[in-house]
Parts: sequence; structure tokens; C-alpha cells
Amino acid sequence: MAHRITEACTGCTACAVLCPVFAITGERGALHRVNEARCVDCGVCGRACPKGAVLDQKGAPCAAVRRPVWPKPVIDAGRCSACSVCVDECTKEALAISLPRFRGDLRVFAQLAAPEKCVGCGLCERACPLGAIAMEVPT
Amino acid sequence: MNTPRYVKVDLTGGRVEDFPISEAYFRRYIGGKCLGARLLLDLMPKGTDALAPESVIIINTGPLTGTGAPSTSRFNMSFKNVLTGGVASSNCGGQFGAMLRRAGYEGIILTGRAPSPVTVEICDGQVKLLDARELWGMDTEQVQQALPRHYGKLFIGPAGENLVRYAGALSGERIAGRCGGGAVLGSKNVKALIAYGTKRPEVARPERFSAFVQKWVRFIRSHPMTGDSLPRYGSAGLVNKANASHALPTHNFKYGHFDRADAVSGETLAETELTRNSGCVSCPIRCERRVKVYGKEVKGPEYETLGFFGPNIDADDLPKALELNYLADLLGMDTISLASSIAFAMELKERGMADFGVEFGRVDDLPDVVKKIARREGIYSDLANGTKWLSEKYGGQEFAMNSKGLEMASYEPRRSVGMGLGYATSNRGGCHLNGGYVPLLESVGVLQMDAQTPAAKAELAVFMQNALEAVSSAGCCLFSAQTFIPAIFFKLGPNHIVTRITGRVLSLAGPPVRLMLALSDLLRFNTKYILPHAKALGLATGLKMDTGRFLRLGERSFNLERLFNLREGLTGKDDALPGRLTETPQVEGRPDTVVPLAKMLPRYYRVRGWSADGVPRAKKLRRLGIEAS
Repeated sequence: MAHRITEACTGCTACAVLCPVFAITGERGALHRVNEARCVDCGVCGRACPKGAVLDQKGAPCAAVRRPVWPKPVIDAGRCSACSVCVDECTKEALAISLPRFRGDLRVFAQLAAPEKCVGCGLCERACPLGAIAMEVPT
Repeated sequence: MNTPRYVKVDLTGGRVEDFPISEAYFRRYIGGKCLGARLLLDLMPKGTDALAPESVIIINTGPLTGTGAPSTSRFNMSFKNVLTGGVASSNCGGQFGAMLRRAGYEGIILTGRAPSPVTVEICDGQVKLLDARELWGMDTEQVQQALPRHYGKLFIGPAGENLVRYAGALSGERIAGRCGGGAVLGSKNVKALIAYGTKRPEVARPERFSAFVQKWVRFIRSHPMTGDSLPRYGSAGLVNKANASHALPTHNFKYGHFDRADAVSGETLAETELTRNSGCVSCPIRCERRVKVYGKEVKGPEYETLGFFGPNIDADDLPKALELNYLADLLGMDTISLASSIAFAMELKERGMADFGVEFGRVDDLPDVVKKIARREGIYSDLANGTKWLSEKYGGQEFAMNSKGLEMASYEPRRSVGMGLGYATSNRGGCHLNGGYVPLLESVGVLQMDAQTPAAKAELAVFMQNALEAVSSAGCCLFSAQTFIPAIFFKLGPNHIVTRITGRVLSLAGPPVRLMLALSDLLRFNTKYILPHAKALGLATGLKMDTGRFLRLGERSFNLERLFNLREGLTGKDDALPGRLTETPQVEGRPDTVVPLAKMLPRYYRVRGWSADGVPRAKKLRRLGIEAS
């Protein structure tokens, strides 16, 4: 099942802009729709919707959450192999592989380079083959 | 059982239909180049020209592609080889393969010719043809920028549009370079394929798979080859090693040693031009070089490119080699065939047989030449046809460095005779990887077996060819197989007595390796030390898989490709090398510095279970479960 948008939608486009997999479409001011084939149930739309118009995969309404307390990836640099799966996954371009600290430095790893772009979708956590990423709510 | 989902697109009429792969096919041919070869045999009408509308190109993935297993961003293109007329499979990293699977398909089969340039869009299980007239003519950077940002992309450059016979197709900055896949796409009027979707590839045993992947990644990162040497120097680190063992082609393969080779070595690159290393998505090895060209950070060269835009044309200008590498990528051409064609033209000039305005040791005007080749301008159109075509027109077959028509890579077979056998027998032509990559044991690896002896070379070539075929079919990068040489030898170093003795003993490995090949069905075990891919493949597909079955898969793939070649008219007679390698000793007065191909070839056929003229015997095919088409 995928997330759904109810008639309460006012077409503010907040969800469509944030959706990390471009699954939400709709004109400004008109009812938005979720492409069910593409939705990955990350819940970003539900957190962002000011009208409570999003139902999650179980059909329960999602509660709005303020952006500063959206979860963010915390990366275990020791475990990370810098394979870039998470970087590739992140369509918001919030993640990047660190730069070498000196010429010939091979110890590089993924890091949250642009935290302000992160929408907390958790796709990086799901994709990491090494389990090096955990989504945590910033304190 | 989840069998792979393929889709067939007839570009002429714009018809799209699902192409089911039966369970029997999946069990036997798995995916990647093995299934690709099977489908080529099934779908390609015999004798079709590689660039004709009826020709078929299969772009597919392996079961491990995009699963998160190490080095699995690879996808495969199988088509009729533009340069040889035989089989071609070209393997590439980048985002396209994984994205194709996420878009809902394991493979796409293209046939026909679109009436005008198109982009094939594969999105959430739907395939559409989009108008690409505006993209036609763009270089590979421009076309990437013009296509949607987060899609997996596979596209060609101007060289592919102009049907340069060694044009490649790119995904990101990675290129499926060899054999002319770009020209095949160009001949079909396909500028690009783009894919997007969010369906994660399913694996049969997710928990065990994930645990194994973590173990495997740790192993790769701790191995001196994949954890240190390749990330530090890339494949370019081989320049000095090959030069030291006189296996570095110099002056169009006339010599095997170049005094100034260090100027274009991986070590010099790392000290001077390298900005950082990088890698394909999902790969912990990170062998990619990042360098600055024209003020931009771009992908740096591989060993083959440095060798060919360096010693093979008597040059030691590293920045120029980087520039030429960048231009070849920008225009969408295979650097090996391109540089080898240029070196051949230089030798033609030296001998007064033809003048393309290129000379050994002069690199300043080569960027212009490369651009003219991509545009097929004037006489440079000839250079765009490859060395075989050139030698048929201008003469010089004995120094046209190709096998079956595909230019050889930068390993001098006279000091690495197993590579000579590999070049001669490789199904796609003079290819080091399809040829088995025996130099890893002879001239560029830590173990240095006797490079001149034919002993054990046939057996090792067969074993390594099979192993590499299977790794490719599974969807992995071949570099992930480099861990099969035990780490201990790297720690001891090449000069340690144990390493040297092991190298020597390898010459005696013929009979045991042959026995192992014959009895592979008994190799019912999995180990991360030899081919960890087998276990990962088993866990991902749910099929019974072990080292023996995995090697059989490779053997099946190699035989299938051979059958395609035979059907298209390439026979045992084409398992040949240019006269320079088999007749002229590399070192004057040392008659052993030639490739003793006539000695190795009959033995190779016997080990393969082929007849004396190189045709797989019916018994062998039955054993491998290959049905005649």
C-alpha cells in the first residue's frame, strides 16, 4: 500500500516539493495525487502536510511534524565503505562522500553535507548495504 | 520463483511488449552476458549486419545488480560486434543498471530502427519512446545535462551517432566502450535510454544476503589489492609493473618497455594530477581517478588508456593523456580501439604506407585528430573504422594489433603469453577481460609465473575466462574477483621467496587446474576467498549455487558466445594474432619472446572440450545444458 491524499488537500504543493521519489503530482491550488506505483511510504508528505490530508499505508491520517524535528541520518563513519549507495539514493542531494583530508587519503565516508536539504525520508538508511546509517531525531 | 522481466521494443513501429524469460532459461543462463548471449542466438537472424535495423541489442542486468552487494552497479549490453562480426558484450558501471531494475525491468531488448532520434524512457514499469531530435549532436556532457536529473541514463555521443565503429555508450561517466555498442545504438537512432523507478530488487533470502554482503565488503576492504592498491593508484598502477616485466606495449606493440613510462604511471598520477579517488555506486573498491582537465574535475584514465596514449605512441605527456581520455569520453569512444587505431596510423606513416598526419612521439595535435575521428571528417573517417579495416585498405596486417578485428588492450602478449592465448581465443576479439586476464599471474600481478612458457597457460586461461564470465553474468564488476589471490602474497611482497616459489609452481598447475575444471560439479562449497559471488548469487536468487555451479555458468556463457561466433562465420582460424606477436621476437636474439600460439591453441581446445578446429563438441554442449538454436 501507498500513502494517499484526501479531499482536504488544498494544493499547497508542500508534499510534492518534498517527495524524494517525485511520486506526488498536482497543480497549485488543486487536489494532489500520489503515484502508488512509485510511493515508498517514507512519510515525508504526511509530516509536511499542514492540513492533515495525507493517509499513511494503513489508512491512518498522518500527523504534521515541525521540520527541525524531522529525523536525520547519522552515519557510522567506521562502518561506511564510501560505496555511495546512499548518496545516489538521496535525490535531495543532502549526502556526499567526504573529501580526502590530505593527498592520498583513502579514509573517506558518506556524510550529511547539506542537513538543510534533508527531508528525513530514510531512504539512505534503507539502502545502506552495511547498516551504517541510522535515522535519529535531532535533539 | 521470480523470473527476470524483460521488455522488447521494436523501434521501427514503436511497439513495446513484455518479453517473458522462462524459469528454465533463468536457472540455466542467470542473466547478464550469459543470458544476453542466449537471447542473441535466439533473436538475431543469422548473418544480420551489426548496424542493420534487424540487428538486436540486449541491455540487461544480473541478479546482483543494484542489490547492494559490492561492485554491482553493472549492466551488460549484448549485441553483434561492429568490429568483428561476432558476439559482443560490453559491461559498464554507472547508475543505469540499478535504475533499470528499479524501473521494473531486468533487461530491455531493442530491435528495428526509429524513424527519427528517440530517447527510450523506462519509468515505473512503463516504456515510452520520446522525441530526441534536440539531443542529437550533443556531446555526452550536454546530453546528460539535458536529460532528467535523477534518472539512470545510458546515452551515446557524437561518435555513436556518426557510427564510429568503436563508439561506446555511457552511463554517468562510465562507458561501455568496447565492440561498438554506441554505433549500434546510433544506427537505431537511439540517443539515450533513461530509467526511473522505486522498486527495489528483491532478494530471495534478505537477512542472510545482507549479513553475507557485510562480510564480503569487509573482506574486500581488508584485501591489499582491492583495499589499498586499486583505491590508491587505480588500474593505472599497472603501468610500472607491466613496464618492469617488459609487457607494456610500446611503439605500437613493437617493444615491451618504455624508458619514460614512469611519467604516465599510476604513481605519478597519484602524486601530481589526482584530486581524489572515487567509484561506481555500491563499490567499496573506488578505483576511479578524479583529475582536472580544462579546469573541470572529470574522470581520470584507466591503465589501458595511459598505456596507449603514452608508451604505445612513444609519449610521456600525462596531462595530454588525461585530455585525450576526457575527449574520448566526451565524444563517446572506446579509448583502447581509438588509441590503437592512432598508433597503427603512426606506424603506417613511419613505413610510408599512409599519412594521417600523426607521428610517434607527437601528441600536440592528437586532440584535434580525436575530434575529427568522432566526426568522421575526411580521411579520419578511415581511422574510425578500426585497425582491421585500415590494414585491409592500407596493408600492414602483421602490425594491426587486433584479434578478430577488436583491438588488443595494453598488455604485450610476447611477455605474457597466456594473454596472447586469451586475446586469440576471446569471443569478442582482442580483449584482456574476455580473454581471461592471465597477465594478473604473469606480468602485472604479485605472483610472477614464467611468462614465456606455454605450460599451464591453456588451463589457467580457460579457468579464468570461465570465472570472469560468471562474475559478469551475476552482475558484478570483475575487479571484485581480484581478491582471489591470497592477501598473504601482497604482504610478503613480490620478491619474497614464498611468493616467488608460488609463482614458479603455477607453471605446474596445468594438470590440477584441468582436473578441477573437469570435476567442477564436485566443488560443492562456497568460500569468500575464491569466488564470493557464487554464494551471493545463490542467496539473491534462491537457486542452488556453489563454486562449481558458478564456474559451469561461466563455461556455459563462454560456449554460447562461441556458438554465436561460429554461426556468424568466425571459426578456429580466427583464433589468431598479428604476425608481429607470433613471428617476430620482442627481443632480438631471444626466440622465446614470441607468443607460441600454435603450441597453446590445440591444448586450449582440448581443455575446453572442443574439436581440433575449435568447435564445441555436442557432448560438451549437452553437459552444459545448451540447446542448439
